[in-house]
Amino acid sequence: MSSRDTILDKLRRNRIPREDDYELPPVKVLGDLDKSIERFEKSLQLMGGEVLPQKAGQTIEDVVRARFPNTTSICSAVPEVEGTLKITDLKTHEQSNEVDVMVVRSPFGIAEMGSIFLSEVELFDHLADVHLAQHLVVLLSREELTANMHTAYQERSEFKTAFYGVLMSGPSATADIQGVLIRGAQGVRTLSLIWTS
Amino acid sequence: MSNKPVKHAQAAAEFLEDDPHRLFHDERLWDMRQKRDQQMHGMPEWQELRDRASRIKEHTLANLPTYLEQFEENARRNGIHVHWARDGAEHNRIVAEIMGKHGAKSLIKSKSMITDECEMREYLEPRGITVTETDLGERIQQLDHQLPSHVVVPAVQKLTGDVAKIFAKYYGTDPNITDPHKLAEAQREAARPVLLSGDTGMTGGNFIVAETGGFVVCTNEGNADLSANLPNVHIATLGIERLVPRVEDLGVFVRLLSRSALGSPITQYTTHFRGPRKGGEMHVILVDNGRSDRLAMPQFWSSLKCIRCGACMNTCPVYRRSGGQSYGSVYSGPIGAIIDPTFNAKKFSTLPFASTMNGSCSNVCPVEINIHEQIYDWRRVLAEKHDIPFVKREIMKMAGRLLAQPRLYRVSIEGTEIALKTMPRFVLYNYLNPWGKHRELPHPVKETFNSWYRKNRLKTSTKKEHESA
Amino acid sequence: MKIGLFIPCYIDAFYPKTGIATLELLEKLGQEAEYPMDQTCCGQPMANSGCNKDARETEELFVRNFSKYDVIVAPSGSCVHHIRDNFDAIEQTDAVKHIRQNTYELVEFIHDILKVREFPWAEFPHKVGLHNSCGTLRALRTASMSERNEPFFSKPMDLLSAVKGIEFAKPKRPDECCGFGGTYSVTEEAVSSRMGLDKVTDHHNAGAEYIVSADTSCMMHQQGCAERNGVPIKFIHIAEILNGARA
Repeated sequence: MSSRDTILDKLRRNRIPREDDYELPPVKVLGDLDKSIERFEKSLQLMGGEVLPQKAGQTIEDVVRARFPNTTSICSAVPEVEGTLKITDLKTHEQSNEVDVMVVRSPFGIAEMGSIFLSEVELFDHLADVHLAQHLVVLLSREELTANMHTAYQERSEFKTAFYGVLMSGPSATADIQGVLIRGAQGVRTLSLIWTS
Repeated sequence: MSNKPVKHAQAAAEFLEDDPHRLFHDERLWDMRQKRDQQMHGMPEWQELRDRASRIKEHTLANLPTYLEQFEENARRNGIHVHWARDGAEHNRIVAEIMGKHGAKSLIKSKSMITDECEMREYLEPRGITVTETDLGERIQQLDHQLPSHVVVPAVQKLTGDVAKIFAKYYGTDPNITDPHKLAEAQREAARPVLLSGDTGMTGGNFIVAETGGFVVCTNEGNADLSANLPNVHIATLGIERLVPRVEDLGVFVRLLSRSALGSPITQYTTHFRGPRKGGEMHVILVDNGRSDRLAMPQFWSSLKCIRCGACMNTCPVYRRSGGQSYGSVYSGPIGAIIDPTFNAKKFSTLPFASTMNGSCSNVCPVEINIHEQIYDWRRVLAEKHDIPFVKREIMKMAGRLLAQPRLYRVSIEGTEIALKTMPRFVLYNYLNPWGKHRELPHPVKETFNSWYRKNRLKTSTKKEHESA
Repeated sequence: MKIGLFIPCYIDAFYPKTGIATLELLEKLGQEAEYPMDQTCCGQPMANSGCNKDARETEELFVRNFSKYDVIVAPSGSCVHHIRDNFDAIEQTDAVKHIRQNTYELVEFIHDILKVREFPWAEFPHKVGLHNSCGTLRALRTASMSERNEPFFSKPMDLLSAVKGIEFAKPKRPDECCGFGGTYSVTEEAVSSRMGLDKVTDHHNAGAEYIVSADTSCMMHQQGCAERNGVPIKFIHIAEILNGARA
């Protein structure tokens, strides 16, 4: 018998005691349903992310350059930002490893957590490259916020269609050395958000 | 695996001897517990979430074969290669085979307790495969040749100076530079080239979703997303108990996991893998390794609900003062005390006794596992199997006999000054001696309550009756 | 209501004044309580060590001693927890069921059954730190616990608040186990003593002159730790304060 069948067979024999019918509870939305920009920003900041304000007359490209004035390497996955190269131009991981600032667009954000979503669609299949960059700038439409994790999983079809879908909630972090929180562990060192309409 | 019982009490006593380590360990984990409490207080629906999480897990475990088959079918449809491993040895062989097919030699992996449980590194390394842990805490433990101390913060028992020494030895950094920021940076710099040159990536999985054929990995450092996506081959080792039926169920668990673990609302990365990326190859290995046996244990099956948040460790006053290494196992603390004996009842027979059964663990558990009651049940099971020390068994037998004979008991207890001397006799010398090592004995008193009552309350008639009996 | 008074072994041998206070307090509250002379123990030490079978005869004796009473009251949370939740080494006859359903820890008996909130004779002009044993806190649920998202409640505090002159210290970790744990106190004496010392230090730092508890066994351990390490703090059972002890 294959291992698969051995395991399944054993699981069928070793059923848990039936003192209950163990029904699956129906899906339910719980918690705070506030999906405001304010809640999102507060959550994002708690997770170590920043919000970049766009002043009158500034383009998004200006906002990115103002946040990273000294950089010579801005890789863009969005039409709003020219940058110094396009994500689709990245050919090797070594090349991606040199990228300083990566600019992407997220299809939605979650107000409860300050999370943004990225999948192979927004990343043009450059899945590792977004994490190799030193800094991440995320464009997010004000209209694309969902309240919390329950509403996110119910409303967003991306969770059922994406092959790779990451919710990033602030930049990479660690507290593995004597409990000291360090923002910028092995992935991006900073995560900044720019609102778009 | 050696069968010798883990000497928890002794290892814990040694851990307590160093004040800086002892104090930091207790404070750090207590801080995590308090941050968890703060998160809980901000959520009136907390208890409802726990109830739902528990019920979803119970339902899934009650229907595990069905959901596993559903997952397998969907995963295959998504282009994932699905493997099944009865035990750790089979899991390790599968990993070696997949890597062998690709001529791969370098495995970069994010933190997963289950590969430690399978002792995978010990199997792969002699076969010429380099395994690199990319999670900072897990990497520290790997370099120091130690098991993880904690399921979420594997190197929590170490101080910056310890890490600086280890990094100096392996990364060539200055042993006197103990700034955590600089040490974390050293890890980033050391890990990047290994990540870039690794030919196989490995992750665990916090949740498996039957409905989508996908799985979810919750991490903070970004190393898992790099490990999974840089090489062409991604292997995910998944415990079969990690299933949930629906994608919406993730909402319940993601909301509970990091809040219970670290007191942060969510992990920095919550990654949903549902199939291989363009040009890549994805394998999942569904590991049993004793889980199907545990499912048939009436008192212990519900430990399979565990989502490995470590909240029970953070709150456990014994764990905080013992250090994770004292448990001698991949899984330490309260959850370790109830699942380790399922792997080896003899070796881990001491762990259910490394507890005051205070019950704090069960009440912080986000999936409502009755951990302290299972600790109590394990003691019974182990005593009946004679997996507790002979001396203890004999003492309990004697105590049981004595306490069942009021007259004999009264003789041994009457007059507390005498009692203090005779107590050791009825509980044996080596049983009471440890009391006085760090504690004073109770003060002798003039008379027992029994004797006071006889003099002051007992009616003359009953007194006589009692004396003549 | 015929009350059987259960005075566990620690109290009988080392803290008889707690037993006396319990009896006198029940009498002051108009109750008639009787102490069966042949009682020993509830069987907890054996059961908690896994040796449940060795608890059988002790539990049988307990039933013989106490089955004739309407209720059984004990000034010890952990023993009551054993009787109520784990007293199963013997056949669960009607007598056993009756005992398990009608055994009360002293505080919950006064609070829930007698529903008394006034102790006009009681005055305790000291700052006290309340120690809820794990048995009372998480098994008998006589107080809210910090692990849960639940409104604050505390039956011992409700009773003690009626005592004149009493003040409460606020330790940092009020719900932390003190490390006694029955046989745990000797099988893992190093961790147990450390927990005990941390517990008494927490109360002392919070300004407590006394630690007050409904569990003598915890306090016996804590007292041992405090005395060995020179932590100047005293211990008193809640029954003694409610009965009118001044110090």
